Amino acid sequence: MSIERFLDNSPSSWMAGSGDHSDIVMSTRIRLARNLNGYRFPLAFTEDEAHKIDQSVSATLLDADEEIQMNFSSIQIKDLSELSRQVLVEKHLISPKLANSPMTGSVLLSDDESVSVMVNEEDHIRIQCLFPGLQIQEAYAQADTIDRLLDKELPYAFDEQFGYLTSCPTNTGTGLRASVMMHLPALTMTKQMNRIVTIISRLGMVVRGIYGEGSEALGNVYQVSNQTTLGKTEEDILSDLQSITEQIIQKEKEARSALLSHSANTLEDRLYRSLGTLSYARIITTEEAARCLSDVRLGIDIGLIKDVDVTILNECMVFMQPGFLQKYAETTLNASERDTFRAKLLRERLQMGENPKTKGEELA
Amino acid sequence: MICENCKQRPAKVTVTQVHNGEHFERHYCENCANSLHPFYVEYKQDPLSLHQLLSNWFNHAEQQPVHPKQDRPKLVCDECGWSIQRFLDEGKFGCASCYNSFRKQLPNVLKRLHNGNVTHIGKAPGALGEKLELKKRIEAIRSQMKEAIETERFEEAAKLRDEARELESRIASGGDETHVN
Repeated sequence: MSIERFLDNSPSSWMAGSGDHSDIVMSTRIRLARNLNGYRFPLAFTEDEAHKIDQSVSATLLDADEEIQMNFSSIQIKDLSELSRQVLVEKHLISPKLANSPMTGSVLLSDDESVSVMVNEEDHIRIQCLFPGLQIQEAYAQADTIDRLLDKELPYAFDEQFGYLTSCPTNTGTGLRASVMMHLPALTMTKQMNRIVTIISRLGMVVRGIYGEGSEALGNVYQVSNQTTLGKTEEDILSDLQSITEQIIQKEKEARSALLSHSANTLEDRLYRSLGTLSYARIITTEEAARCLSDVRLGIDIGLIKDVDVTILNECMVFMQPGFLQKYAETTLNASERDTFRAKLLRERLQMGENPKTKGEELA
Repeated sequence: MICENCKQRPAKVTVTQVHNGEHFERHYCENCANSLHPFYVEYKQDPLSLHQLLSNWFNHAEQQPVHPKQDRPKLVCDECGWSIQRFLDEGKFGCASCYNSFRKQLPNVLKRLHNGNVTHIGKAPGALGEKLELKKRIEAIRSQMKEAIETERFEEAAKLRDEARELESRIASGGDETHVN
């Protein structure tokens, strides 16, 4: 199968805007880190080892697709252009680390892009499942299936005391990182996020901006994940994340109704202004676009804005990134050209979701 | 030779200056050398990173008076050749055998990263994993059995007891004990 389909502007399944609490939780991600016995970790291994690992992992998964009723495509990272790698990173299908690795490495992608297995990233194997909305158990079950399948054929590095052995000691034990991406505009507007971040960090969880460690919360999108991987069972890690996520959802809902009851007019003005900016701007930076998309999404969620598709935030947050914009423009773009193209792309996306009837009423 | 600066004390320090590619030698006494060319080292400070934290924690732990005679370890992993110092510097392991080579030192590092935990209690691969799952099932059956006894459903409790024994014998034929908790 051609890899082009993973690179075009078609949305991945995780952007679908479905799943539980999809008005607040954009997506759920499960990652399992695994290594094979008999080979050094990617930081220390040779090209020969990298090649052998890549072959055996890829062969095992490609052979088993009938058993798990899933079709995988294997993509060699070295075969990809720099731009294609960037696009896969922006779609969250591979990590920047794998994209820039000098050694043989690959990614195995399921057709709907919900499963991606990275080979020779920081660990030999990284199983990643990305589901729309809040689906922690479902995403874990999927990752667990792939894990058991590989376990049957490949000798995992495991220690009775330390559990699954990983390259970084922060993943030792279960090798499990579970995270949810949440859109929390009302908690941000009411300045409650700092307090929440502090409380969560005391519970062995981390909150970050959308683009991972140290990044600011672009578009009011936060990622909540477990920090501890050792001394807790998988079930405990998942249920802890579930309960914290549910509590944050509750707080966000409370903040949204508080905003609506106290300053509905101001809020409505702000959200519609953002819709206006996205619909008509000719030049727009990533930051401004992210802020406006967040506003529009909030407007949709609270029932204020009715003629725009809910998946708009999920998709546009991905497609407005530099790699996708250049793919869309079919040429390389400098920063100011990107701002122009971003504005064009957003205008087009917004029109796609518009309902002509409601538009007519507004005009009347 | 006497000091070029004070012209009193004997010169003991030679300072070589390079200016526009030309070398100049200056000869000072200790006092003047100190005041004219204070010793300092300029070094780039990286932002505090995981490996630095690891190093700091680890060294700190080693300096505790619990093991006063222990020198800083010069352990090397015989599989990949990484030393424990390299592990601490990079914040990463070279291979799976490092865990075994540095087994004694690791709990100090791991407990700080994982809320005080040093032992895995989750899923396990292969035969080990199957055994672990059996143990979990036995525990579940046992708690059901207890409930049955408390509510005087003895027949059911007896069935559950047999079921648990069945599973236990399967584990026993499988070999060693493994960690459950």
